[in-house]
Amino acid sequence: MQRKLLLLKRTAILLLMSLCLAFATRAQSKITGKVTSSDDKMPVIGASIKIKNAPGGTITDGNGLFTLEAKTTDVLVISFVGYTPKEVTVGRQINLSIVLQPTNNNLTEIVVTGYTTQRKKDLTGAVSVVDVVQLKAQPAASAVEALQGKAPGVQIVTDGAPGATPQIRVRGFSTINNNDPLYVIDGVPYEGKLSWLNQNDIESLQVLKDASSASIYGARANNGVVIITTKKGVDGPPKITLDAYYGVQAPRAGSFPQMMSPIQYANYLYTSYHNAGLPVSTGTNYGTGPTPTLPEYLVAGSATGQNITAADADPSKYNYSRDPATFYQITRANQQGTNWFKEMTHTAPIQNYQLSATGGSENATYTFSGGYLNQDGTLKYTGFKRYNFRSNTTISAFNKKVRFGENAQYSYSEGHGLGVNPNVSGEYQDEGSAIGFAYRIPTIIPVYDIEGNFAGSRGSGIGNAQNPVAFLYRAKDNVNKSNFFFGNVFGEADIIDGLVARTSFGLRYENYNGLAFIYPNLEFSEGSNTNSLNEDMGYNTEWTWTNTLTYKKVFNEKHRLTILAGTESISNRSRELDGGRNNYFILGSPDYSYLNTGSSNISNGSFGSVGSLFSLFGRADYSYNDRYLASITMRRDGSSNFGPQNKYGYFPAASIAWRMSEESFMKSMKWITDFKLRAGYGKTGNQRIPGFQYINRYQSSIINSAYGTGGGNAVTTGVWQNAYTNPDVKWEALSSINLGADFTLLEGTFDGSFDWYDRKTKDMLYPVPLPSTAVGLASSPYVNVGDMDNKGFEISLGYHYGHKNEHAVKFDIGLNFSRNMNKITKLAPTVSSQPYGVFRSLTTSILETGEPFGSFYGYKVQGIYQNAADITNSASYSGARIGGFRYMDINGDGAITPADRTIIGNPNPAFLYSLSLNVSYKNFDIAAFFNGVQGNDLYEATRYFTDFPTFDGARSTRLLHAWSPTNTSSMIPSPYVGVSDLEYASSSYYVQNGSFLRFKNLQVGYTIPAKKLFGSNSGFSKLRIYVSATNIFTITKYTGLDPEVSQETNTFSAPGVDRGIYPSPRQYLIGINAAF
Amino acid sequence: MKHITYIFLVLFLCSTLSCKKDFLDKNPQGELTTEQLTTQDGVEALLIGAYGLLNGNVNGQYGTYGASPSQWLLGEVDSDDAHKGSSNGDQPNMNLIEQHAPTSTNDNLANLWNNCFEGIQRCNNTLKFLAALQGGPSTARFPTARANEIQGEAKLLRAHYYFFLVRIFKNVPYITEATTTATVANDKDIYPNIITDLEAAVTNLNTSKPKGDIGRVDKYAAQAYLGKVYLYQKNYSAAYDLLNTVIIAKPDLAILPYTDNFDVTKENGPESVMAVQHSVGADGTSGDNGNVGDVLNFPYGNGLPITCCGFFQPSVDLANAFKVDVNGLPLLDGSYRNNPYQSDFGLTAAQKASYQVDNTIAFDPRIDYTMGRRGVPYRDWGIMAGDTWIRDVGNGGPFVPYKNVIEAAQVASNTAPGNTNITGLNVNLIRLADIYLMAAECQVELGGLDRALTLVNKVRQRAALLSPKAVNGVPVAAYKIGLYPGFSGSNYARTAVRFERRLELAMEGHRFYDLVRWGTTKQTLESYFNFEGNYFSYLKGIVIEARDDYFPLPQDQIDRSQGVLKQSPGY
Repeated sequence: MQRKLLLLKRTAILLLMSLCLAFATRAQSKITGKVTSSDDKMPVIGASIKIKNAPGGTITDGNGLFTLEAKTTDVLVISFVGYTPKEVTVGRQINLSIVLQPTNNNLTEIVVTGYTTQRKKDLTGAVSVVDVVQLKAQPAASAVEALQGKAPGVQIVTDGAPGATPQIRVRGFSTINNNDPLYVIDGVPYEGKLSWLNQNDIESLQVLKDASSASIYGARANNGVVIITTKKGVDGPPKITLDAYYGVQAPRAGSFPQMMSPIQYANYLYTSYHNAGLPVSTGTNYGTGPTPTLPEYLVAGSATGQNITAADADPSKYNYSRDPATFYQITRANQQGTNWFKEMTHTAPIQNYQLSATGGSENATYTFSGGYLNQDGTLKYTGFKRYNFRSNTTISAFNKKVRFGENAQYSYSEGHGLGVNPNVSGEYQDEGSAIGFAYRIPTIIPVYDIEGNFAGSRGSGIGNAQNPVAFLYRAKDNVNKSNFFFGNVFGEADIIDGLVARTSFGLRYENYNGLAFIYPNLEFSEGSNTNSLNEDMGYNTEWTWTNTLTYKKVFNEKHRLTILAGTESISNRSRELDGGRNNYFILGSPDYSYLNTGSSNISNGSFGSVGSLFSLFGRADYSYNDRYLASITMRRDGSSNFGPQNKYGYFPAASIAWRMSEESFMKSMKWITDFKLRAGYGKTGNQRIPGFQYINRYQSSIINSAYGTGGGNAVTTGVWQNAYTNPDVKWEALSSINLGADFTLLEGTFDGSFDWYDRKTKDMLYPVPLPSTAVGLASSPYVNVGDMDNKGFEISLGYHYGHKNEHAVKFDIGLNFSRNMNKITKLAPTVSSQPYGVFRSLTTSILETGEPFGSFYGYKVQGIYQNAADITNSASYSGARIGGFRYMDINGDGAITPADRTIIGNPNPAFLYSLSLNVSYKNFDIAAFFNGVQGNDLYEATRYFTDFPTFDGARSTRLLHAWSPTNTSSMIPSPYVGVSDLEYASSSYYVQNGSFLRFKNLQVGYTIPAKKLFGSNSGFSKLRIYVSATNIFTITKYTGLDPEVSQETNTFSAPGVDRGIYPSPRQYLIGINAAF
Repeated sequence: MKHITYIFLVLFLCSTLSCKKDFLDKNPQGELTTEQLTTQDGVEALLIGAYGLLNGNVNGQYGTYGASPSQWLLGEVDSDDAHKGSSNGDQPNMNLIEQHAPTSTNDNLANLWNNCFEGIQRCNNTLKFLAALQGGPSTARFPTARANEIQGEAKLLRAHYYFFLVRIFKNVPYITEATTTATVANDKDIYPNIITDLEAAVTNLNTSKPKGDIGRVDKYAAQAYLGKVYLYQKNYSAAYDLLNTVIIAKPDLAILPYTDNFDVTKENGPESVMAVQHSVGADGTSGDNGNVGDVLNFPYGNGLPITCCGFFQPSVDLANAFKVDVNGLPLLDGSYRNNPYQSDFGLTAAQKASYQVDNTIAFDPRIDYTMGRRGVPYRDWGIMAGDTWIRDVGNGGPFVPYKNVIEAAQVASNTAPGNTNITGLNVNLIRLADIYLMAAECQVELGGLDRALTLVNKVRQRAALLSPKAVNGVPVAAYKIGLYPGFSGSNYARTAVRFERRLELAMEGHRFYDLVRWGTTKQTLESYFNFEGNYFSYLKGIVIEARDDYFPLPQDQIDRSQGVLKQSPGY
């Protein structure tokens, strides 16, 4: 400390002395200076320095230095191609430091890549630089959502759940394992969902798509890297901006699946019995006559359907009690039919406000912002709220040779209602969700009983679905809260000329808690009077300490060299505590409901995880004469996830580029502004598996391995092996080759890029389910299951009109097109093929060599058995019947057996495309965006409930067109009681064309000439209002709720399997952007 | 400035070089490693884990029907004793089991397979860790006596799990603690392996319970189990010797109350030779260690002490089988199907409203301790009310299960919190009456008809002690049960013993397996479908094929075995 003070003193004295010297110099004298660019902080070579209105001048040398004789009153004009000229009054300075700002030309745009920055023109890898302005033209709750269609090869699948982070896939699926990209936010790697990040805080966003650009992130870069930089302060007086919008989200009722009306369903049931040659036995609802009749009541006490007498239905007997013994409900049948999807959705508001201030002086800049988002779900009683604060500060000292600062984000988010957890889509999908029940609950059930309490499936033969409205309502007080801190502090010092040392310590700390209430649901056929509260709390923490040394130097004016070396340590830990109790004295009061007020079924538990990574990495970028570019990187990662044999992974990469437009033969072609060819090759890895796969693990568990050895109700807790080992488990590696070209024509009128790639994933990690003979019911270990290949190309084209000449009308058209072909190239010798994706009795998907990842798997429907001879003459199965599915006998053995299951669809799109259109005329601006997916199949797994006699419940109106002796061309099986389970096994009947084109977004804005209107002293520098609409229309043949089907889990994706998704609503917003 | 440079360089070097080596070595969270478990406590705990699978369940409250220790689905619903019940649409895969039309993707079959192999893994791990421990330092070892006993317990449990598998799938791969491959072929008869394990258990176990724990298995359990397996192998003399040893060692059956077997307050009594211990309420779970296999098998109706789902409904045929002749003997010639008793089934609403139970029918009293029927007091629940206790009479019939249900008075103390349909009632795997009747069977085949007669009559003598069910003091049936005066020949004796076995053990998970080992599946079931089909059209005309003695191997297990496992013929 003493020494430091001494140092400060000395520095201060030095500074004073130099000031004194400056005062002494008044006449013309020799001044020196250095010109650097603000973007890459590199010296500008060949910049011209002229004295304004006077002869004389010079240019900078290879180190950006110049010497010039000038007077204190002289004004120097410094200029360089691609940069805005700058004027500097000499004054008393003798050593000038001049920073040139690049003009608004995307070639000199600075791109943050792995641990360093590059000019866009120096990029050698496949990096999509997203136009953040365009991104923000589409206000979205999630920072990722608006990325849809903005970067070729990046597929974003959104759903309608409030606060949800969409699914993001860079160049298709690279693994069966987790396919989420790595995010690097202000230099700190982050894996997870981004619901905590405010879109408006993003300053720049890049997607590193190929290994040559991403492999600097080594073991976590397989799925691409999304680099996000948040807004930094800039020199100048405080600038305050306000962004706000308010809008409504309307469910797209036209997309709801259509279910049979009660009488249609009754007829369907009757026909089922007739077709099976059985006497009709439909319970008490539909009568016993030759044709069905509808009941007036569904349930009255213990009487059901048409057995209900007037005495049973006497409202004075009604007793909506918590006690099953006295519970007496009277429910009228809804003879017209309930549209459950309509009943459970509503038009919901969304609002967002963001206020930010930014500014700074020469030695310190800051940005501060605060935001608030409140989005209600279109499913009733669901919603998401977020408050976030961000502060970014940079301070420089010691003549700017030392810089330090922080980027910090705190975000509080709150999801309320059923299963609204922005991080797990599975909770609001699937059969046990409100959406799942909407597919299953019969239309004859009304939402409410005669007294306005919830009606349900208690009754005769009306299934075991829950009333989805009741289900949502009872979860209205469920809440998930998250406190999320993410940020880093950094320090940076220039050690010698060109050499910068940087250290950054990043911290992520999230704590979260949730409450889930269960209420008695005696109206439900399998209901109970249990009421309970479960509560959970936990934290995730991760620190990342990164140290880099960067050396940037230009030699002999033509050689630009950047060398980077660094280390990174990452350590994470999570822990969760949960507990629950049943039987609360009063219900419906979150104020009363604390665990200790529950009186039975006391439960509690906790669990956690740990992990660490230690990495060394290096990188060298070299450019010769701005023409020939080369880059090599190397990373070595050590991961706690692997055993001693495979602890470390090596991830090298190299890329080259040639800016042909700099060559003399091309310089003559004036219409070519820039043309660059790129080639790169590299390796990345994936280590995202649960830890300790390399050892056998055992657990002492009261629920899994206890036994009442003493007789009676006390148990002794034993041990079981809960996880089996694979000592050979190793890194999943991806090697990718990328060839690309970037071009800018006619000084920016046209621009675009083309990329071709081949990404080979090797040793994909997957917990191949081992036979029970090997692992019982415990977890199978991850094994390196096989190889996958993604080949494809991406084209991005832009046309820009009117920018150069400042036309009144300006417009931009952007077109993205990408094609990715996926294939499993190899499976481990122990695995011949791997069916997976189990939903009820369906196994939807398979990994099979030579086939695309996630291919749908099942029987191929060839037709419908038309008559008895048809069954005898073709391959059949036990339970084959007239009017039932005739499957293709794939192995030709004359019988339909599980061996006849085959590939029945491909969830991977043939291509993705998007079109964006931006027009501005004077103060008006319009942005439109279309997004399309073509050539993929979707697996409408909800048909398991709606199209087959699996459960008593709702049936799709599709079945009205089922096969019958008079409708023999139909491919829909006829109604039949007691069908073989082979009829509703996984088959091509579930598979639909999933292509769609969506008019995703339209925004019209008007910039109010604020200065003119309010006077130039009003302080307004910008005032814009806009209206926007999203999901304006969708063209698709898909019969499910929404063709954008996101996965329920991050890992082991059975892509394209629709088990009932949260449909995206139509959204109308009005917003304002103001700056002061 | 220089100092700051140094600071940076030092930081940099620090992070590169001085990073502690163990930074990347982490320990599993909340899990034990092999080293931590290779101790006496570890082996004992693994053994408890092996017992833990007896209730057919690793965790959770629903879904373990195929593996349920009561074998209600695979041992009864697929026989002539019971229907799946409930409504047609609930658990449709069970309908296919009842109708003998299962496919290899039936989840109930996968459930039995997976749970039994989990149990087998646990037995194998117990034996593996025991061997490792006993092969290690002598200070850490078990005393030989306990080591042997542990082997006995683990091997009896392993034999039990394999026995459950082999009865349903026949072609079962045999995995031991020495197996190193993921699976082995299922092309060998595994009964010899089961017998080897059971013989070891007989040798290693003592007649007193291990560690004094009443819930563990002892020598009698091993002897009875081995006897049972010998009977399945038609090795009647070996079977008889073992079974008779247990009979001699236990009290006379004739004085043991029949109801104790199905009374949650009288568990582990003298008749219980091997029982699955079910525990609820005290373990802090919502029933994971209780009788989850029978979770669906409760009457269905508002206001009942326990209500669930309405599965496992006794057949009309079974109800009528309890009819007796004037001597109180069963109607062995099948005439019990004449003028069938069908409770209020098929009556009009008006007739149902005025229905009175016919108390003139001569019934074996065990009927009303085997099923609930309208008009008869049902445990302490009150009088069974007919349709309001039943989910869908048209689908499952007028009767409800009884033996797996508990008294209303016991609901508070012997059901799981929040899940009253998970009880603490033990399930008998082998009880003394079962042993008497198995021994009687052996004697019929060995020609010892007198001994067979004695054993059967002991069972009947005890049944005669059952108190008649009565309403307002009036018995609800003309209860009668008589002793066989003698067996006129081995055919008659065989029929009588087998019939007695059905009546005594009805709804306890034996019937289908008995039919299979007797080789009478086709004749019995087709005749039954013909009769029962009059009430339930879904059973009409079902033909039993040769394959139907066994069920198909789970398809996903065949898929996972990479071609090692072969599907059974006919599927």
